[in-house]
Amino acid sequence: MKKIILLLISLTAFHLKAQKSDIASEDLNGIRAIGSPANPKVKVYWNKYSDHAEIYRICNDLAKAYPDLVKLESIGKSVEGRDIWLMSITDFKTGQPDRKPGFYIDGNIHANELQGTEVALYTAWYLAENFQTVDFIKELLKDKIFYIAPTISPDSREYFIKQANNPNSSRTGRLPMDDDGDGLIDEDLLDDLDGDGNIVMMRRKSPTGRYKVDCDNPQRMVLAKPDEPGEYEMLGYEGIDNDGDGRVNEDAVGTYDPNRDWGWGWQPDYIQRGALYYPGMLPETKAVKKFILEHPNIAGAQSYHNYGGMFLRGPGAADDEKYYSRADVQVYDYIGKLGEKMVPGYNYFVIHKDLYTVFGGEIDWLALGRGIFTFSNELMTSYKLFNKNSQEGRFQNTEFEDFDKLLLFGDGYVKWKPFKHPQFGDIEIGGPKKNYIRNHPGFLLMEDSHRNMAFTILHAHQMPKLEVVEARKKDLGGGLTEVTAIVMNRRVIPTHSAHDVKYKIERPDYISLKNATVLAGMVVENEDFGITTEQKMNPDKLAVENIPGMGFVKVRWIVKGKADNVSVEVDSAKGGLVSRKLQ
Amino acid sequence: MKLKLLFVGMLAFWVQSYGQSDYSSHSQLTSRLKALTAKSRLASVTSIGKSSGGKDIWAVTLSGGEHSKNKAVLIVAGADGRHPAGTEMAAKLAERLVSLSGDSLAALLQKRTIYIIPGLNPDALEQVTARLKYERSGNATTRDDDRDGKTGEDPFEDLNGDGLITHLRIEDPTGTYISAKDDARLLVKADAGKGESGKYLLITEGTDNDKDGRFNEDGPGGVNIDKNFTFNYPMFEKEAGEHQASEPETRAFLDFLYKNTNIHTVFHFGLSNNLSEATKFDRANASKRIISALQEKDANVTDAVSKMYAKAGISDAPAMSQTAGNLTQTAYYHAGRFSYSTPGWWVPKAKDAEKKPTPPAKKPEAGGPEAEYLKWADAQGLNTFVPWTKIDHPDFPGKNVEVGGLMPYALHNPPVQFLDSAVIRHQAFFTDYLKAMPRTEIVNTKVESLGNGVNRVTVTLVNKGLLPSYPEIGDRVRYVYKVSCKIKLSEGQTLISGKLNNYRSALEAGESEEYSWLINGKGKITVEGGSPTSGISNLELTLK
Repeated sequence: MKKIILLLISLTAFHLKAQKSDIASEDLNGIRAIGSPANPKVKVYWNKYSDHAEIYRICNDLAKAYPDLVKLESIGKSVEGRDIWLMSITDFKTGQPDRKPGFYIDGNIHANELQGTEVALYTAWYLAENFQTVDFIKELLKDKIFYIAPTISPDSREYFIKQANNPNSSRTGRLPMDDDGDGLIDEDLLDDLDGDGNIVMMRRKSPTGRYKVDCDNPQRMVLAKPDEPGEYEMLGYEGIDNDGDGRVNEDAVGTYDPNRDWGWGWQPDYIQRGALYYPGMLPETKAVKKFILEHPNIAGAQSYHNYGGMFLRGPGAADDEKYYSRADVQVYDYIGKLGEKMVPGYNYFVIHKDLYTVFGGEIDWLALGRGIFTFSNELMTSYKLFNKNSQEGRFQNTEFEDFDKLLLFGDGYVKWKPFKHPQFGDIEIGGPKKNYIRNHPGFLLMEDSHRNMAFTILHAHQMPKLEVVEARKKDLGGGLTEVTAIVMNRRVIPTHSAHDVKYKIERPDYISLKNATVLAGMVVENEDFGITTEQKMNPDKLAVENIPGMGFVKVRWIVKGKADNVSVEVDSAKGGLVSRKLQ
Repeated sequence: MKLKLLFVGMLAFWVQSYGQSDYSSHSQLTSRLKALTAKSRLASVTSIGKSSGGKDIWAVTLSGGEHSKNKAVLIVAGADGRHPAGTEMAAKLAERLVSLSGDSLAALLQKRTIYIIPGLNPDALEQVTARLKYERSGNATTRDDDRDGKTGEDPFEDLNGDGLITHLRIEDPTGTYISAKDDARLLVKADAGKGESGKYLLITEGTDNDKDGRFNEDGPGGVNIDKNFTFNYPMFEKEAGEHQASEPETRAFLDFLYKNTNIHTVFHFGLSNNLSEATKFDRANASKRIISALQEKDANVTDAVSKMYAKAGISDAPAMSQTAGNLTQTAYYHAGRFSYSTPGWWVPKAKDAEKKPTPPAKKPEAGGPEAEYLKWADAQGLNTFVPWTKIDHPDFPGKNVEVGGLMPYALHNPPVQFLDSAVIRHQAFFTDYLKAMPRTEIVNTKVESLGNGVNRVTVTLVNKGLLPSYPEIGDRVRYVYKVSCKIKLSEGQTLISGKLNNYRSALEAGESEEYSWLINGKGKITVEGGSPTSGISNLELTLK
C-alpha cells in the first residue's frame, strides 16, 4: 500500500528533466502549463468532437510522430465497412510489447455518447507526448502496453455527427432491421423538418393540451398544475409518419444496442431490450472480441460511456453478484474510491445496483467472461455545470437551461419556431441541440478528459508488476543444490482475479528454473513450518494459479549439481515476463 | 501424435465387429443429400454455413413454391455428435419424402415448406467412419477442455487395439464401483446405504499422459453444438465453448431460424425428449423475468402434440430431460417457435412388459438404460459389448486392469436398419403435424356502401388450423412477425376510419377477429392477413 502512495506522489513530483524540456520549447511564447506537454508534435484541439476522418488523422499522426511508441492498426470493419482503429501504445524498444500487462480502452460503443472517443484519443496523445518528459509515463510505458480503440461504433458516430439526430438517438449501430415486424426495413426514420441537423421536440397549441411554457425559462415546457388549463400538447421528436401506419419514427435504422451483444449472461430482446439473435452478431463486437481473445495479456479494461459521472463496475445483473468475491471487490474498491477523489462529481457504482440491470453487456464479458478487471466510466454529469448537485430531479431542475443562459449564451438550444407539418398542421419545433446535455460543452471537455484519463492510468498502473525479489542457492550436499525464489507482484491487481482462479479462465503462471537439471520442484506454502506442495510432472516449470496483488509466491527446486548459471523465469499471461539470474 | 502411432499398431487387429460403420460420414451424407435433388424437383439443397472445421452444413428444402412464403417446419439433427442416429433418421426421412409420388408430396407441401438440416455438427459426424471410434460430441474448434493452458495434452489411447475407446476397470481399494446385479458386465456405483463397498475404479480407455492424476481429460476438444445455444447456457463447462453461440454451427442455425420467419416449429432428433409426454404448466417459472417454463397456452398445445405423437404408433420413449444450452429450448424460449425434441429411436420395451406394465413407482434397473440396452442387444445378436480383458497399464503397475465395456455410440445408435421402423412412424407423425398446422384465412368479407362514395369494408381473419399461428411466447419475441391484417388503398381512395396496418397477438386454433374500415373512393383495394408462420392470404375487393 505504501508503495502505491509513493508512486502516486511521484506522479505530481517535480522532475528535473521536465524542467529542461520546458526551456527547450521554442515555439512556446510563454511558459508551459503544468500537466500539459510544452509543444506537442501532434496538434489537436481538445474542445471539439472528431469525425471518423479526424480520428484517423490524430491516430495516424501519433503513429508517424512516435513510431517507437504508437502503432496503428485496423482490428476489423464496421457494418458499413469503416475501419475500427486501434492504437498499441508502449515503449516498443523495451521488452516484448504483447507480453507486457495490457490495458484495453474503448469508447463510443453507444455512438451518441461521443466523448468516450475524445478521452481515449486524449489518453493516447498524452501518453505519447509526455513519454520523454514525465518519468511516471516513461516507466508506465516500459512496463505496460495500452490498446486504445477510440470508437467501436464508427458508423453511428459518423451518422450522429453528420446527420440529423437528437441527444439520445443513434445509440444503435447501422445494421438494417425491420423494427416493427411489418416486413419493411427502416421505412420510418427521424425527419429533420427544418434541416438544421438537430432533431428537437414538436409542440402544438391545443385547447386540450396539458403543457405550458415555463414563465422563468421560455425554452422549457412544464406540465400545467393539476387544476390549471394547459396551452400546448407535446407531439414527440421531430418527425413524420413516413409509412402511413399511424405511428411516427417507429422504424429507424438499427435500434438495437451494441452493448447488449456480448457473450456473458446474454438474454433475448424481450428480457434485455436491444439484444439481437445471439451475442456477437455484430462485426464490431466480433472485431473487439477477437482482439481481446488474441491478447491474453490484457489485465485491465475501460469502456467509456456517458452520462452521469460514474465509475461503474459489474455485475450487470444481480444474479451475477456470486461471481464477485471479496478479494476482487477489494481491488475495485481501491481504484473506484480513489477515482471519486480524482474526478469531483463522479461516483463509484455497481451497474445493477446503482444504474440498472444489463444482460449481455461488454463490461460483464470482459470482467466475468475473461477475468479482466474492468471499469466503465459514465462521462459528464450535471454536477460539472455549477460544481454541485441539484436538489431536484433531472426533469424538475433547470440546471441545463440556466447553464445555457449564463455560460453558453443560448448556444445549447434550438429556439421554438413555427413549422407547417404535413400531418400535424401548424406546430412549433424547438429543444436541446443533439450535442448538448449528454456531451460536454467544449470548455469542460478537456478537463474531464484529463481527469478520466488519470483515473484510467491509475487503474492501468495497478496491473501486475512482477519481480523476482529473491533467488538464492543452498548446497544440500551429495551433489544436490536447493534453489529458492520469491516472485512478488508489486501492484494491487493480481495476475488472476479470484473469479478467474475459480473457473480457470486464464492459464496458470509458470515459474521455471532454466539451465538446471531439476529433480524436484515445489511451491513453498510456509517456509517457517516447512510446508510445500510438490509438482510431480515437469518440476522445472512450476504452475501457480495466481500471484496475488501486493503479494508473492515462493518456489523451490532441488537441482542436480552446483546450479551454476541458472536463472528463474516467470511467464504470466497477465503479469508479463520477468527473469533473474542466480549468482 | 500418440493416438496416431497407437492406431498404426492396431490396424492389424482391426475387426469389423459392429454395425456403426453403416452410418454416413459427413462426406457420405453430402452425396446422399445431393442425390435428393435428382429425385424430385421439389427438393433443393443449400449450405447454411460452414462448421469450424470448414465443412458445409446442409439444409434440404422441400417446397412446392416459394419456400419462404409458406409456413414451415424445420427438422434438425446431429447437433450433439454422439447422436448420428438422429442424422441418419433425418436423412432417411428426406429420402422417403422425395420418393413419395409426385402428387402426395405436392399435397403435403400445399402451402407448406419442410426444411431438414440432418447434420448440424459435420465435424463430429466424421468420427462415425473414423478408424478409431470414440463418442465425439464436439466440432473442430480447439478447446482447452481442462482449462490448464495446454490443449489436447491428454487424449484417449486405444490400449487393446480394437479401434474403439471403451473403459478401463481397475481393481483398487479406493474404487467406488461394483458389478451391476442385473448384468455383471456393467459397473454401478456402490451404495453404502445397501451395505455395498466399492471394488473398481472406472475410467475411460487411455493413459494419464500429463500425469495430473486425471485420465483423458483433454483430448482433441471441440464444442458440442447442443451445449452452445443461448438459453440456460452452461458457461465454463467442458464442451460448451467460449460463450453463448460462440460456434459457427450454432450461429448458422440461429441465423437460419431467425431469418426464416415462416418457421413455425422446430423438431430436433437429439438426446432429449419433450415430445412423448406433454409439458406441465409451471406458473412460477413461466412468469419470471427470465422465463424458464412454457407459457400456459403453449403447455396446452404440447398436450395435443404428444397425443398426435402417440397416435403415430410411437410409444415407450424414455424420459430424457432438456439439457443446458441446448437447441430445443433456445428455439422456444429465445427464438419464439414451437420446439420439440426426441431421440427418435430407443430400446424397444420387451413384449411381455407391454402386457403387464410395471408400476410407475418402481425404480429403474440397477444397470439403468445400459442394462436394458444390453438385454435387447443380446436378443438381437448384436455384438456391442467389448468383454473385459486384462491388460498391462503403465499407470497402474501390478494391478488388475481390464479394458472393456459398451462400445462407443452403441446406446443411442443401433445398426441403421433398426432405424427404419422409427423413421416410418415419424414420417406418419410429421404428416399429421403438417396437416394440423395453422391456416389463417380471410373470410366473411363485406363491402357496404354508405352513400356518397363512402364504403365500409369488413373482413374476418380466422385460424382454420389445429395449432396456434405461433406460440404464446412468440408475442414477446421481437423477431417473430405478428399476426396482421392490412389494407392497401389505390390512387384516389382515402381512409376515414380504421388503421392501414392492424397487428395482434397469436391466433389460437379456431380463433378469429373482425376488422373494418371506412374508405372514401372507388375501385379496388387489397386486404392481406395472417402471419408468416400461419400463412398470409391476399384478397382483392371492389368498392361500390
